[in-house]
Amino acid sequence: MLTLANSYEALWPGFEARKGAELARHDTVDFMILADSPQTLFAEQVAKLQPQLEEDVKTGFALLDNFDGDLRQSGRALLWMGDGLLLLDDRAASLFQALPGNQRFVADLPDGPVKNALADLPDLRCLLELTSGSLSRRNGALVDDEGKTRTRFTLLELHGTDGNVMLVQTEKLRGYEKAHGQLQAYLLAAADGGSGATAHIYHALVPDHLPYIAKPKTVFAPDEKAVVAATHVISAYLAVAQRNEEGIIADLDTEFLHDYRVALRKIRSVLSLFRGVYSDSQTVALKRSFSELMAPTGRLRDIDVYLMERDDYYRLLPESLHGGLEEMFGRFQKSRKSELRKLTRRFEGQAYARQMTSLQALFSDTSRLHMGPAAERPVHEYARELIWKRYRKVCKMGRAIDDNTPDELVHELRINCKKLRYLMEFFAPLFSRKEVKARINDLKGLQDNLGLFNDYSVQQVALQEVLDRAKMSDRGKKLDMAKSVGALIAILHQRQLDERARVTRSFAEFDSAAVQDSFRNQFQKVTA
Amino acid sequence: MKIIACYSNKGGVGKSAAAVNLAHAAASAGVNTLLCDLDPQGASGFYYRVKPSKKLQDDRFFTDVKKFTNAIKASDYPNLDILPANMSYRDFDVFLSRMKNSRSRLKKALKSVDADYDLIILDCPPNLSTLSENVFRAADAILVPVVPTTLSERTFEQITEFFRDEGLSDKKLVPFFSMVQRQKTLHGETMARMRETYGKRFLDAFIPFTTDIERMGAHRAPVATYAARKTGGRAYDAFWQELSSRLKLT
Ligand SMILES: Nc1ncnc2c1ncn2[C@@H]1O[C@H](COP(=O)(O)OP(=O)(O)O)[C@@H](O)[C@H]1O
Ligand SMILES: [Mg+2]
Repeated sequence: MLTLANSYEALWPGFEARKGAELARHDTVDFMILADSPQTLFAEQVAKLQPQLEEDVKTGFALLDNFDGDLRQSGRALLWMGDGLLLLDDRAASLFQALPGNQRFVADLPDGPVKNALADLPDLRCLLELTSGSLSRRNGALVDDEGKTRTRFTLLELHGTDGNVMLVQTEKLRGYEKAHGQLQAYLLAAADGGSGATAHIYHALVPDHLPYIAKPKTVFAPDEKAVVAATHVISAYLAVAQRNEEGIIADLDTEFLHDYRVALRKIRSVLSLFRGVYSDSQTVALKRSFSELMAPTGRLRDIDVYLMERDDYYRLLPESLHGGLEEMFGRFQKSRKSELRKLTRRFEGQAYARQMTSLQALFSDTSRLHMGPAAERPVHEYARELIWKRYRKVCKMGRAIDDNTPDELVHELRINCKKLRYLMEFFAPLFSRKEVKARINDLKGLQDNLGLFNDYSVQQVALQEVLDRAKMSDRGKKLDMAKSVGALIAILHQRQLDERARVTRSFAEFDSAAVQDSFRNQFQKVTA
Repeated sequence: MKIIACYSNKGGVGKSAAAVNLAHAAASAGVNTLLCDLDPQGASGFYYRVKPSKKLQDDRFFTDVKKFTNAIKASDYPNLDILPANMSYRDFDVFLSRMKNSRSRLKKALKSVDADYDLIILDCPPNLSTLSENVFRAADAILVPVVPTTLSERTFEQITEFFRDEGLSDKKLVPFFSMVQRQKTLHGETMARMRETYGKRFLDAFIPFTTDIERMGAHRAPVATYAARKTGGRAYDAFWQELSSRLKLT
């Protein structure tokens, strides 16, 4: 009845390796997976051209992707091979770029074609080694009767810790497209339908890799019990949180902690939004339990956010006030270290492991949970009702807001919009995915506006706290920092006012007749 | 983008040798280079092992920008492409004027196939009459190999005269001594006299007569690939260094 879609096939339709024949149609794709050994493959002439193989060069290699698997999902494979990065793409020509260092973030790579082609990857995610091993690389060419090179190729034999793959990357030379086509046709025939899909590379090198999905898509039948659905969503997000622990400890990038917290926050909102599925007393206890899990991560996340704002803050202030920022960010860096150390100790401790294991067991099925009054309700009807009620609430609150309404009510509107969005996300599989996506999109403009309004207000409070908390013996430094923080707060305050001034209009845009109709059609109870 | 023509109305003076080795030197220095073989004899193409394109003899060939770009072939060296021989001068005029115009469709088409050239080198045939004036007008510099003999001295005088008569700027003329034989007193005397007459116009670098260069025909490759450290290789290297700084190519 319930399936957690976590296999590649379910996640990435069309994952089934595309056949080489199809590949040949895109003439940009220039690599193929080989079945035969290169020596036998190029033992004889190819299309009346003489193969020439250079000596092989041995280096190390690593297959790179970010934790979200963005490269794999977009049909690309990124190989580090000793001296540079090779980017293979199911839909475009391969790219190579020399790499002197071992940069982990795309933004830190030196300028070059590979960096450009990776511009779509999220900035905050680092590149991770999915696997590594040894690589034998051998350049070759097909040469005509005059000794002129007509096409080039590179043979790559990758021996990873969990598997091997052999591939050939072909190079088209200007004016010699025909020879390139002949080489590709030959390789296709010889490789016995071997495909140029990057999926094969992952299959071969990391056969057991479990993809990470930050937003797991839980699928349930419309008549499933509400409690089963809630339990399943919670268990899926609990797994997401756990997948992030290692990355937090290793301090790979800040998204691990962020995703960890988002997962726990979603669990908390399931507990408060799916009202009545669990007994009141258990709901209260569980909420407390998840809040306790989140609490020790808050400070570190705050610091991460400040550090991300760093460039922005420097831009906002004149150079004369940079001294105070320097002082402030120095302090952040220091406290980040100690916060991370604390969190690591906690993650590695027994109490935490015990707590996580028991939660995992608790949510593995419904047998140990205490049913509430809504537990047995069919999930579709239940979901529809929750979304509809929440939508009505958002509308009511939004319509009551004008330019003079106190900020507290705007904050409440924000929280309700967020809840509405979470509900639609959790229950998306029960409705038309496309329609739900469209509704979430209808809400986006308003949510962005309210989100910024909130961020600016939170930042002001937080900066003030930083200043109040700073214990400094050096009064000069303290004064510097106070000046910079004061200036920042003034700017952030102005920004907050600007966002506030937009709220009435963003809401009116969301509250259009068309959007109202869509919500009504999708989520209002059909009275027969 | 700069255009350099290798030109003399005399045959066998080292035009093709200069064009071939200069193109290789420029490409090795990272300058994106296109070598155009304008001589139906096809010497440049021969050294790079590129067969003359049959398609190029077709009259309708250059009616379309795409055809220009299709005629270009990759050499075996990075940053260096070849436009093989057998192009009609009329077609070539069109080609050059489009290359000069930075907004032309040809430029855009080449850019789109990642062939945006910094430098175009023309290996010209040894006659003035048929070669369009436009080539001279389009070129930023016209390299003229001068073998230091009395006869060649007259030839160079003729070229400068032709330029003046046609209202072309003779400032573009960049003569250099080619196939120089040190041991011949005649060569030494002619060089001294001509440097005196033409002042700084002559390149300081000159190309000696050497078997390193003669053997290009057997190797079918630029000198630097097989005799970089020898007299021939070093001569073209110095030649390129001086020319690139004079024309601000790198
Ligand atoms: N510096 C040199 N030393 C020895 N032989 C040379 C030299 N330059 C050119 N040659 C040879 O002389 C012949 C004519 O040279 P080439 O460059 O083809 O002249 P052009 O293009 O002016 O007709 C070729 O066989 C070439 O190998
Ligand atoms: Mg010639």
